[in-house]
Amino acid sequence: MDAPAIRTEGLSKRYGPLDAVCDLNLEVAQGEVVGFLGPNGAGKTTTIRLLLGLAQPTAGRAEIFGLDCRHRTVQAHRHVAYVPGEANLWPSLTGAETLHLLGRVQGRVDPAYRQALIERFDLDPSKKVRVYSKGNRQKVLLIAALMTRPDLLLLDEPTSGLDPLMEQAFRHSVLEARAAGQTVFLSSHILSEVEALCDRVAILREGRLVEIGTLGQMRHLSALTVEALFEAAPPDLAAVQGVTRVVVDGRRVRLQVQGSIEPLLTALAGTGIRELLSREPSLEELFLAHYGSRSAVPVPAQHVAAPALPAGRP
Amino acid sequence: MTDLLTAATPRELIPAGRHPGRVVAGRIARKAARSGALWGLIFAIFVFIQMRAYTSDYPTQASRDQLQRAFATNMGLNALIGPVHDDTVTGFAAWRFLGILGVLGAVWGLLLSTRLLRGEEEAGRHELLLAGQTTRRGAFGQSVAGLGAGLGALFAVTAIGTVLTGRSAAVGFTLGQSLYFALTLVAGATLFLAIGALASQLAGTRRQAAAMAGVVFGVFFALRMAADANSGLHWMVWLSPLGWIEQSRPLTDPDPLVLLPVLALIIVAGTVAAYLAGTRDADAATLAARDCAPPHLTLLNGPTGLALRLIRPVAAGWLCAITAFAVLLGSIAESSTQDSSGSVSVTQDLGRLGAHGSLVQEYLGLTFILIALLIALVAAGQITAIRAEEGDGRLENLVVRPLSRTSWFAGRLALAALVLLAAGLLAGLAAWAGAAGWHNAVGLGSLMAAGLNVVPPAMFLLGLGALGLGAWPRCTSAAVYGYLAWSFLIELTGAVVHADHWLMDTSIFFHMVPSPAANPDWAGAAMMAGLALAAALAGGALLHRRDLLRA
Repeated sequence: MDAPAIRTEGLSKRYGPLDAVCDLNLEVAQGEVVGFLGPNGAGKTTTIRLLLGLAQPTAGRAEIFGLDCRHRTVQAHRHVAYVPGEANLWPSLTGAETLHLLGRVQGRVDPAYRQALIERFDLDPSKKVRVYSKGNRQKVLLIAALMTRPDLLLLDEPTSGLDPLMEQAFRHSVLEARAAGQTVFLSSHILSEVEALCDRVAILREGRLVEIGTLGQMRHLSALTVEALFEAAPPDLAAVQGVTRVVVDGRRVRLQVQGSIEPLLTALAGTGIRELLSREPSLEELFLAHYGSRSAVPVPAQHVAAPALPAGRP
Repeated sequence: MTDLLTAATPRELIPAGRHPGRVVAGRIARKAARSGALWGLIFAIFVFIQMRAYTSDYPTQASRDQLQRAFATNMGLNALIGPVHDDTVTGFAAWRFLGILGVLGAVWGLLLSTRLLRGEEEAGRHELLLAGQTTRRGAFGQSVAGLGAGLGALFAVTAIGTVLTGRSAAVGFTLGQSLYFALTLVAGATLFLAIGALASQLAGTRRQAAAMAGVVFGVFFALRMAADANSGLHWMVWLSPLGWIEQSRPLTDPDPLVLLPVLALIIVAGTVAAYLAGTRDADAATLAARDCAPPHLTLLNGPTGLALRLIRPVAAGWLCAITAFAVLLGSIAESSTQDSSGSVSVTQDLGRLGAHGSLVQEYLGLTFILIALLIALVAAGQITAIRAEEGDGRLENLVVRPLSRTSWFAGRLALAALVLLAAGLLAGLAAWAGAAGWHNAVGLGSLMAAGLNVVPPAMFLLGLGALGLGAWPRCTSAAVYGYLAWSFLIELTGAVVHADHWLMDTSIFFHMVPSPAANPDWAGAAMMAGLALAAALAGGALLHRRDLLRA
């Protein structure tokens, strides 16, 4: 099995006049953990539904381990487990019955691991699904997916409804899957989760892939955030080469630097600077930076307590 | 930043509506009124067309006398829609419309109230509204008011139809007669709105609530039917509220007082429902179900086993109801035909429908159409349940695993077909058991064949539903129930008003021979089953090619 876990070529899906997914070219290698980001309506769920063959593409194609998702759906599904963001289960079955059924339909189960997962996620499997909370229903689907030890986990906002403890259990399970060589494709709005788990991140905007890479690569391509506190009124830094998005708040200035930081350091020399902090953009800032006008929503300024040395890029 | 904070600071709240405490009533009323107006329109059109056809097809008193004599001794029709009143236009109208529309209205009422009460609660939408400016009991009161708006719409549009039809010189109803007639036509709907509301408090799901109210309807209908089919059992008409409504005899011999017990029953059911709505938890049922259970894994080895497990309670309920109904038909067959023995008009009437043989056979041949209707209802319910698996998103849990949609669909349809077949065979067996003790008993073979004979129309409906599910999934349920209602109306009325053959052909029941009064047309049955199979295959192919769609 040398083919990539996921490959899409010009994958597109239209709903009437709306381009839900447009010309998506994506490749996920085996064993990778890839985060899939985008705001509501960006096309993340539609992409996953196209990969699963639940929806038919308007154009292009998608493959899972080299198997066409449209024409060899059943064969492709032998390698896949899917967790949707919304758990719709059979209310009259118990948790144990649901897990048994889904394992039988998948065709393979690791019973010892299933039991370990039930304990890890603190699920009472004797209860009927109709009395489960949203979080408990989500746990059933997570256990059902993980217990089959699939080659590829397609997770579409899998932790919606989970409490922070269970969120930790989920992260532990994903890291376990990565260690076992499984591929994980994780669509999520919890950026800290993606930052903690994923090798690469793909960002979707209005159905189009606008960025894909490791966080390190994306940070290299993105601006550095610099905050400075001056003894007196700050100088005008807007004209300095590479400096953008200057926000002045009294004697405090926050700005972003694209490219070399040297012109800024030169401009700051002798200006009575008291504190200086530079940091790489967080995933949240990277994400917001890709959403045009939406990125204009200001990020609350952080208080810099101690003098900081200018930091270069890693 | 400053701008953002300013924008987020509430300045002036604009009222979102004039009566925030009446949101539930408004929401239910909109849906109920739409449905009530639509069905009222169907009732009005039905009354208009039927009266026009009757007055033109039977223009003279002599022809009306002849028709009345034929129907007066037609035991099957007596059982189905009640006894004929007299040989006047008003007598025909009162008999036919109360018998058919009154029953349809009752079914509409129970389905509407369980959908808008328990269905909304099950979907979680009711809970959102309960978080507003109301209480559980207050919300129930508002829901009842909303259902009242639906009933008002049904009555208003039906009354417009009866008044306009009555103004014709050939028909000649007075205004008072027309309004009272419309009131009796919607009496069954009112009663079953209340019973549906009560069932919605008792059961935990919409399907359970509808099934519960459906059982009550079945019992009431069976009692009324037994009373009308057999003069010796006529006292039983007072055991059934549907019998009370029948005794109101609008147009011919009005007796509004008999509607008082119906009103009392509505008030009792509504009051108990209101009490239960105020005392139970939101989203919970009064009849408690077990929340924990040891695992029962026997059937849970695949999608078809799961389907069998899921449909088991509903299918068992239907099979029991059909069996009981068939036993009843068999047991009253001979006594119901004693009054008609030797009647030339009855024999001629049945002969025109292709029925021959003893009167008991003829009686069973005609009344088995009700068995056919019940089995077709099972088919419609099955296709609706199959669509619900897709619409509610549960199907995705299966087909994201190594299972093709087509094999899941084939398994579900095969299971549904087996249930229909079992229902037909059980009906034949039960009718034979019911009639076994009588002098003119019909043989087991004949009745088993009669049971099989009523299955192909249901199979055809199942196939048609499968095609609809493949092509227009969101319309599937409305289409199958609508087509079933159309077929039944055409079958009951088309022959009387001499409808065109092409119109009769559109009914799935028209192609069914009245067995055991005539030998089943196996070639025709095979053709219907073949068409059903072709439609199901086409539906499967379409399902395979399209996106899965939520409700």
